[in-house]
Order: sequence, then structure tokens, then C-alpha cells
Amino acid sequence: MKCILKLTLVSSLVLILVAAGCGPTPAPAPTEPSPAEATPVPPTETPVPPTTPPEVEENVFVYAHGPTFPDIDPSVSFSNDSVVMGNAYETLVFYNPPGSEEVLSPHLATSWESSEDGMTWTFHLREGVKFHDGTDFNAEAVKYSVDRTINMGMGAAFIWDAVEDVKVIDDYTVEFDLKYAAPVDLIAASGYGAWIFSPDCTEAHGGEEASEWFDAGHDCGSGPYMIESRERGSRLVMTRFDDYWGGWEEGQFDKVVFEIVVDPVVQQQMLEAGEASAAYDLPRMNWEALDARDDVTVYINPSFQNLLGLFNMKKEPTNNKLVRQALSYAFPYKEFIDKVMMGQATQAYGPVPAGMWGHSEDLFQYHHDLDKARDLLAEAGYPEGGFDLLLTYATGDLDEQQVCELWKAEVAKLGINLECRGMEWEPQWDLARSDPLEAQDVLVFYWWPDYITPYTYLFNMFHCEEEILFNLGYYCNPEFDELIDKGNELAATDRAEAERLFIEAQEILIEDAAAVFFYDLPNNHELRSDIKGYVDNPAYPHIIFVYELRKE
Amino acid sequence: MRKLEYIARRLALAVLVLLSVSIITFIISRIVPSDPAALWVGPHPTKEQMAAARIKLGLDKPLYVQYFRYMSDLLHGDFGVSVQSHQPILTDLKTYLPATLELVITAMMIAVLIGIPLGVLSGAKRGSLLDHASRLVAVAGVSMPTFWLGLLLQFLFFGRLKLLPVSSRVDRGISLYHPVQQITGFYVIDSLVSGNWSALRSTLVHLILPAFTLSTYAIGLTIRMTRSTMIEVLEEAYITAARAAGIPEHTILFRLALKNAIVPTLTALALSFVYSLTGAILVEVIFGWPGLGSYVTRAILSIDFPVIMAVTLVITVFYVFINLFLDILQTFLDPRVTLG
Repeated sequence: MKCILKLTLVSSLVLILVAAGCGPTPAPAPTEPSPAEATPVPPTETPVPPTTPPEVEENVFVYAHGPTFPDIDPSVSFSNDSVVMGNAYETLVFYNPPGSEEVLSPHLATSWESSEDGMTWTFHLREGVKFHDGTDFNAEAVKYSVDRTINMGMGAAFIWDAVEDVKVIDDYTVEFDLKYAAPVDLIAASGYGAWIFSPDCTEAHGGEEASEWFDAGHDCGSGPYMIESRERGSRLVMTRFDDYWGGWEEGQFDKVVFEIVVDPVVQQQMLEAGEASAAYDLPRMNWEALDARDDVTVYINPSFQNLLGLFNMKKEPTNNKLVRQALSYAFPYKEFIDKVMMGQATQAYGPVPAGMWGHSEDLFQYHHDLDKARDLLAEAGYPEGGFDLLLTYATGDLDEQQVCELWKAEVAKLGINLECRGMEWEPQWDLARSDPLEAQDVLVFYWWPDYITPYTYLFNMFHCEEEILFNLGYYCNPEFDELIDKGNELAATDRAEAERLFIEAQEILIEDAAAVFFYDLPNNHELRSDIKGYVDNPAYPHIIFVYELRKE
Repeated sequence: MRKLEYIARRLALAVLVLLSVSIITFIISRIVPSDPAALWVGPHPTKEQMAAARIKLGLDKPLYVQYFRYMSDLLHGDFGVSVQSHQPILTDLKTYLPATLELVITAMMIAVLIGIPLGVLSGAKRGSLLDHASRLVAVAGVSMPTFWLGLLLQFLFFGRLKLLPVSSRVDRGISLYHPVQQITGFYVIDSLVSGNWSALRSTLVHLILPAFTLSTYAIGLTIRMTRSTMIEVLEEAYITAARAAGIPEHTILFRLALKNAIVPTLTALALSFVYSLTGAILVEVIFGWPGLGSYVTRAILSIDFPVIMAVTLVITVFYVFINLFLDILQTFLDPRVTLG
């Protein structure tokens, strides 16, 4: 009897644990009042007289950060961990924030050139750069880093897909030989998979098996800060690298601390109390009040992330261009951006977001016009609407949900019944990769770039695919494919012409209404006002390059 | 001899329980509509990466092969790898399990220190003011939801009184200037062993609120259990004899009577220890405590099944073996308990 009771207890425990995993994800949603909002939760840090006053007055930068860091191996990192990577490691080339004179700046490489055909790239490297283990940065290190990343094949390793061989020409010259023309300068500037690290240091800790050592809170980089310690799931501390090639001056930070704080309300209170120096993605409705404070500044900038709704090109009735155009005219863009996004987003011009090369504001934008939509539907043979559509979005994402709800109300006026179904990403992706005739009619999701090229948007979501991966609307247009493939080749040699081709390709996409291009997302970062020098760089999402900052 | 036989039988049964739990969780993890390979490769994988991940994770093999592979790894002490973070789960458990155990053990110690004296006294002085007061404490302790109590305590002791910290295991100052040397993962022990007194102080101060929040259920339970068994024991003839012999009352209560009354309380406490391992999930999330609870919460939200399975199995092991241990212990403490 007793055993049965215990068995029941144990199995119910298992069921509870597992059931929690099957249910809808209660993702932290910015507008949902959490229990923490009902009862004010005080900031995380203790006001108790510090048990240990620091021996020296140090400048500490505290980044209150929601997500934890899955991978702090520089070859593998392809997630939120890039905020740590960006301070510990460096890339050969740096992608400048929008509005800069040049798109790219030298970083660990001082200059570079490509052959006529874009098949061979030569990088001249900076001399006098030291890694944290004291060894010198050189061509061997570049080769080692890129080779390790490619061989491990994890994370964003695919950005190097074009690379056939990395050759050491001399100590400070390295050559990339390619399988096909590709913009290696842009690839080498990526915030994922392009970090350069010390071969000695990495080999000493297992080479390709060093992930565990890295993840325990170590690095092999050349960046201005070194990882000092990591308390898994709660805190990561970095300390200044005295021999950093850029040198140090007064007012720069000595330490960087990442505090994992899940609740944005607690993050905000830490920031207000001065316990945190920076945070991001605080609740949108608080931005105005926060910015009104003297001691906090809110930075809102465009990001390279955008929201799209891919139409199912294989299934009726969305396989009809007129229907897709009608639906594109039925979305209330302005109303959504004004009311839901509180004016802090911009309607997209095609799939390439604002601020990136290949973006054009001469492209056609659909606007909310139900009469036009009605005419198009009539022309398509659905004067009274009379069909059902299924839209899938990421469950728990309130923005996506409201996109659907608002759209649903509008298309209902056209006699169309739109079902909004929130799903976990994996099942949603599975559904989209199954039989297109059984799949969703509209799939709403975000896209963001791995390295900064329009091709990642155009190729992944719209290039013909035999076996479906991310072309989840099954768009296939040889004319379009030819333009973007040519554009990608030219990106290596003639970027202006490549840009022209990418824009031309987008015209086709928009005319075909292959997707609804909802909006380009804003990035928001909140910093203490006495910290100067912060510039948001959408090419490196949420990375705060602490070296650039000064405390007044 | 009978004892050995009994222990052997119970051990066999325990293995059976663990086996069935592992089978159930494994099957559930594979029929849930979620693709571990998709989680493994991250947000924008290539087809080659997806295919490679499928092979690496063994998803191309039939279910029973996958299960046997999992179990054979498990028997070699390998819990597998988190599909989200790619880190060996064993490494994660080594940091998160001690954090949780430290929290739960402290909570149990608080429960014993508060619950047993209150239970003994209210059992001895039935109907007194103390008895009523302790009943109130017990009922409140058992019925107050921990997330509510946790937030309330944070608000009071941090927000208003500014006395106690509300998050993580040590101060940021400690992490920066006097980091705890990682030996056992129990910060109290580690800072003691390495003589890091400021870290020890910080650890203890950080333990107070979450441990107390977690202990309330056990406090209530201990008070009520101790009280009722005390009442029973105090009516026994040997107590009357002791009183007649003029033995001081506190010796009667805390030595003679408690010794016999404590067995059921210990059982209840041990069970609530395991119960608190799961109860800690909420408390850890509220107090930013980097333990098993925070760990499994993240895993559940991202459907990281190897982690969910590992944590479930660890908790099951605790459950089964603490039960077994208790039953055996009882046979030693109380000869009247028969083995069956």
C-alpha cells in the first residue's frame, strides 16, 4: 500500500514536471502584468552595508541581462552569449553602425583586398596585438580560429561555407581561397562565428574539445576584457586586459559584470537604483517615464530584425497573387505601429531592414485600404471573401499575437475568417516543413542576419528550396533567384551593383506579395546617464562594447 | 537476516521505480511535438547542420535503441548533453544541485529549530495561548503560497527595512573581490574551508529569506506532527511514572517524551525535504537562486528534454532512497516496526 502511494507520488511529480513542458510557454511578455509588478520587487543588490568594501575604488559596469549564456566557446556562440564575446574577442573587420561614413572599419585586420573574381581575399593584420594568454596575434591565429570554427560545424559555422582554404602568407598576411565568390570582409565582421582566438591557449585546453573549459568561464581572446569568473546561471565577471592593443585611458571601466536578472521589472529597478549600468528590452510602456529621469537614458534605434508573414504559395487561396495583395492591403500598418508599438517601429520596405545596405525606401509599401482589398478579392474570384485562413505565430509573443488579432478584425470585414494559432517554434517549424497543402496559410516570424547581407533575408526565406528549411512560404521564382544569386556573387566585388540587384529582386517580391512585411523592430537599450559614448550597433545586437564607454 | 532480505527487496523495488520513471519520461520526451535537433543547432541552421545534429543526438535510430543508449550512458554517470547549451548536464548538476541542497537543508534546519520546540510545548500545554498561537503559525505556514510569501518578504525586508538581500547566493562585491573557491559547491562549506569569512557572512545573509520562505511548509508540518505525537506519548504510563519520580518537566518533555515522539516527525520531515526539492523551483525563481529549480525552469521553457529528464531522475533518486533509508532507520529506532 505504502509503495503504491510512493509510486503515485513519484509519477505525479514526473507528470507535473513534464506537463509543465508541454503546456503553452509563459514567456515573459512586456505588457503582461507579472506578479512582480503587483508587489513591487526591490532591486537585486543588497543595500546591506557591503560586507567587503573593495580595496580600491574601481569602475564597474553592470549589465542586467535577462537570458543566460548557453555557449561561451567562440566557435560555437550563436546566441545571447555574443554580449560577452564582443568584449572578450575581436573580429578581423568591424561592421559600423548605420549612419557611419564607411560600412566597414579595420579591426584586427588593417586592410584587405579581393581578387577580381572575388575568389581570393587577402587580409593584412594588425601588429602588436596580444592575446590574453600573452601570445601574439598573427596569421596563424586567424587560420587556427577559422579552421576550428569550420571543423566544429556548430553555431554559425556556416557563414564560412565559401571558404576552401585559409593560407598563412607571412606572419601578418592571411589569404582566404574560396569555392565560390563571397564577401569575406562582411563575413569576417559577423558577430557570430568570426571571433579570433589564441591557438596556444585553445590547444592547451583541448582544442576542439575545449568547449567545456570555455563554458566554465574562460576565454582565449584579444579583446579589452578577460573573463574572470562565471557563476553559472547568475553572474559573469570580466576584468580589464592591461595589454590591450588599443591602450587605456581615464574613465574607462575596470570590470564588467553581467547579472542574470530574469524579470524586466527587477532589471528596471536595479537600473533606477544605480545597481545596474545598463539593461535592454525593458517594458515598452515604461520607456517614456524612464527617459524622463535625469539618471537614465533610453536609446531607441532601428535593429536589423523584422517581422514578416510568409504566405503559403502552394495552397489555395493564398497561391493567388491577387488574394495575397488583398490581404497585404488589409493589414492596419499605421494603427498597429502607433497603438501597439507606441510609435517605436517603422513599417518595413520589403524584407531588408532599414539601415542595412540593400534597403531602399523607393520600394512600394502596401497601406491599409479595404476598398482596394475588396476589389482585388473580387478580381480573384472571391467577391464575398468566404474562406478560412490559418496563421501561426510564436506562442507567448504578444506583439505577434496582436498583429494577428488586428489583422483578423480587418479581414473579417472582407468576409475572411483568420485563425490565430500560437505555437512553440519547433512544432510551428515542423508544420511548415511538412506537406505545404496541409500547412499553415500564413507564418509569422522574425528574421535577423548572421552576417550583414541582404542575401540572408532574400535567400533563406524566398529562394527556391527542394527540401524546405526556412522558405516557409514555399516561394519559388527563377527570375528572382537569378537576381539574388548574381547579387550575392557581386557582393564580393561590386557592392553597388549587388545592391541594385537586391533591390530589383525585392521589387518582384513585393509585387508578388510573397509575404506581408509588417515592421522593422526597434532596439532599445537603457543606460545610466553618467555613462557616455554608447552607440547602438544593430549588426551586433545588444552587445555593449564597454571599452568605448566612459564614466563621468 | 530478515533485515538484509528486506533491504535487498526494497533496493530491487527502488531500481524498478527508477527504471519506470526513466521509461515514462523518455517516452513523453519523444512524443511531444518538439525537435531536439532544431533546438541543438540554434536559430538559423543549415540542412547539413540539422542532419549532423540528428545523427549526433542519435535521433535517426529507433526509439528503443535511443533509450538503451541513454540508459547505458546514464549508468556510466553520463546524463547527456543539454540540447540548448550543449554543455554536459553533469557539469551543470554539479553547480546547481549543491546550490539547491544548501537551500533546502538550511530550510529543514530552520523547520527543526522552530517546529520541534513549538510542537513539544504546544503538545504539553494543550489549549494554552502558545498552543493556539503555534496552531496559527502552522496553518499559515502550510497554506501560504510560497511565491506570495517570497514576494512579501522581499518587499518587507528589502524594500522597506533594507535589511536583507533578495537575489543570488553572494554579494557582487564578493564575486569581484573575494570569490568563493569552488570545492563542494556548498558555499557555506567552501567559504568555511577556505577561511573566506566575508564570503561566509554574505552566503548566510543571502540564505535567510529564500530558506525561510521554503521552510514554512515544513515548519507547519513539524509543529502539528510533533504536537500530536507528543500528546499521545505524554499519556503513556512511563511519563506518569517519570513525573511521579519528580524528574524535571523539561527533561521529561525534551528527553523522555520527545525521543519517542520524534520518529513520525522525522519521517514527515524527510518527506518534506524531498517535497522541498521541487518546491524550491518557485523559490529559486523568485530569489534568483542559481539552483536546480532555476535550471529546470529554463529547460522546461525551452523544451530541453535531456535536462528535464536528468532533474526528474535526480529528484526521483532522492525520493526513493530517502524513503528507503527512513524505513530502515525506523526499524532500528523502533523495534516494534515490523518488516513487511
